[in-house]
Amino acid sequence: MSAVSTPTIPGPRPLARRIGNVVRLHLANPFTIIGTPVIVLGLIFAVNWMIWWIVRTAAPSDPQSVADVADGLQYSGATLWIFVYMMVVAIMAMNLTFSFALGFGSTRRDFLLGSGLTFVGLAAIYAVAYILLAALETWTGGWGVGGTMFNSFYFGVDSPWWLRLFHVFALFLFFLAAGSAFGSMYVRWKARGLIVFFSVVSILIMGAVALVTVSDSWPAVGEFFEVAGFTGSYALSLVLSAIAGAAAYLILRRATPRN
Amino acid sequence: MDESRPIFQQIAEQIENDIIAGALPEETQVPSTNEFAAFLRINPATAGKGVGLLVDAGVLYKKRGIGMFVASGARARLIAERRDRFREQYIAPLLAEAHKLGIDADQLARLIHDTTPEESHP
Amino acid sequence: MTAIVDVQDVTKHFGSVAAVDGVSFRLEEGKIYGLLGRNGAGKTTLMSLLTGQEFATAGDIRIFGESPVENARVAEQICFIKESQKYPDDFKVKHVLRMAPRFFPNWDQSFADQLVAEFRVPLDRKMKKLSRGQFSAVGVIVGLASRAPLTFFDEPYLGLDAVARQLFYDRLLADYAEHPRTVVLSTHLIDEVSALLEHVLVIDEGRLLVDSPADELMGSATTVVGGRDAVESFVGGREVIHRDGIGGLLSLTVAGLTAAERATAKAAGLELGPVSLQQLIVRLTAGSTTDFTENAPTTPIPEEARA
Repeated sequence: MSAVSTPTIPGPRPLARRIGNVVRLHLANPFTIIGTPVIVLGLIFAVNWMIWWIVRTAAPSDPQSVADVADGLQYSGATLWIFVYMMVVAIMAMNLTFSFALGFGSTRRDFLLGSGLTFVGLAAIYAVAYILLAALETWTGGWGVGGTMFNSFYFGVDSPWWLRLFHVFALFLFFLAAGSAFGSMYVRWKARGLIVFFSVVSILIMGAVALVTVSDSWPAVGEFFEVAGFTGSYALSLVLSAIAGAAAYLILRRATPRN
Repeated sequence: MDESRPIFQQIAEQIENDIIAGALPEETQVPSTNEFAAFLRINPATAGKGVGLLVDAGVLYKKRGIGMFVASGARARLIAERRDRFREQYIAPLLAEAHKLGIDADQLARLIHDTTPEESHP
Repeated sequence: MTAIVDVQDVTKHFGSVAAVDGVSFRLEEGKIYGLLGRNGAGKTTLMSLLTGQEFATAGDIRIFGESPVENARVAEQICFIKESQKYPDDFKVKHVLRMAPRFFPNWDQSFADQLVAEFRVPLDRKMKKLSRGQFSAVGVIVGLASRAPLTFFDEPYLGLDAVARQLFYDRLLADYAEHPRTVVLSTHLIDEVSALLEHVLVIDEGRLLVDSPADELMGSATTVVGGRDAVESFVGGREVIHRDGIGGLLSLTVAGLTAAERATAKAAGLELGPVSLQQLIVRLTAGSTTDFTENAPTTPIPEEARA
């Protein structure tokens, strides 16, 4: 056989460009990440607004009752679905978008870096929008009817806006990171992998609960979160998000887009 | 396309036929390899090989940077070659089949004579 | 020779199944290759290995001299149009085509626009709502307009009608002529593409059966038909690729007859028939191949025949 030569090929395009391409891939159809959430949020808002209106007209209008209602409403979980939706977005991204990106010549590493960047960006944008809506809510006196959707207890009503921004951001990021981890488990090990994972997690949680109960440590656990406070707890979630992200990275590094 | 022979041979033969029929006159440019390939829906390398056969045989020649041309005298040469091969390519199988069917040479000659004298196209 | 793909003894196991089994070959720059074989023969797995989508169990793969695994430099030179390619659920055709230029450095937008019009692909329809033919057409458009130096088409025309398939062949040939590149066409529909191929690889049950220039392969086999005894005595100890018989009649497919041998066969009253590429491969990979594969050389045609 004659001597074999290899044609030289140009170097790869810069990393930033490749990662940017992956970001664009995730955002290719803006409807998924902006359209759908806005529409569903709008519907939930409309339903909630009617409930607030009914409550407001039905409830006695003395100051004590109004305060009670407001106090009850701040435990509203009306916006929780949007965090769950983000988890679904992340799961889909890891599964289908991963296959597509590899089909278009992205490396797994570039895909994961681009996805991470996208998710951090999405969490930031969503958090800002969330806090802006919360401000609007306050400014309009609860959308004119004393309602509460965004000034939720869970993000610390008494905290300054920038701390609440951090809380919301951390929670978005957590759901996106968890979704990424679940999605990558699915790609690598299919349903069986998820079943095994959740079984193990359930056993661990039950074990932990049993351990805490047996050792009479619930007060200590409560104390921990009390000391940590909202901000500390959310900061702790960042650690979990980082672990989930790292897991997604390690899992997808050896995954293949298969049917 | 006939599958008993490599495609590039068939391409060469097709170009020869066009030269013999006068569709490609001498000293005119023939289509490029890529044009042949696109027209016949074959791989350009295969078309190139077919054209190459004719270049080697002196039927076509290259003008650098312009393209491929039919050599002068190519048509007469091709016809002479085809005549040489006519006996083995057409007469021999004809006789073999006639023999199989019990048609003798005289009957065959008459058959040929009686059949409408249409120019048989190689 | 300029090899842009160099595969040495590559094996891929899925559990206990060897989807690709000890395969070695080279692909040279600027040729159209046919990767042929039955469904499930290992074609898609092999291409997934070459494009770094799968990890080889053993062996060495060099694409442009480098490993394709997690290699952005190599990946940018490749376009792999997979028959089973998955798209994000929310993707419409226009999203796919909008992303393509970002990922393929040689993308030609006006060519893509032309192909979209010619294949009549509905830009605003979701990928998962497309018919099989439209789905294939999107792949064909991306594969052609990307002009990647190494392009793989995995069963590119499933569901495409005759007109669209012809359009694909025409555009492929014309664009390949203008922008030479290496193309690998994987298919089990061989007759339609055989004239497009310069070189043929046949894979069966994960193993490489044939690695040969297409024109030599096409002329390489002949079917000898006649009375059982006459055929047997003519064929003698020659390697038989395929055997068919009814009563006293026998039809044997054998490799490479010389002109003199053909004349002998005809004189003996035997019928000689051509074997198309498709027939040849069907015969090589049909159930009765086990006999053949055991003594078949992987490369029946000598390399020095090539200029």
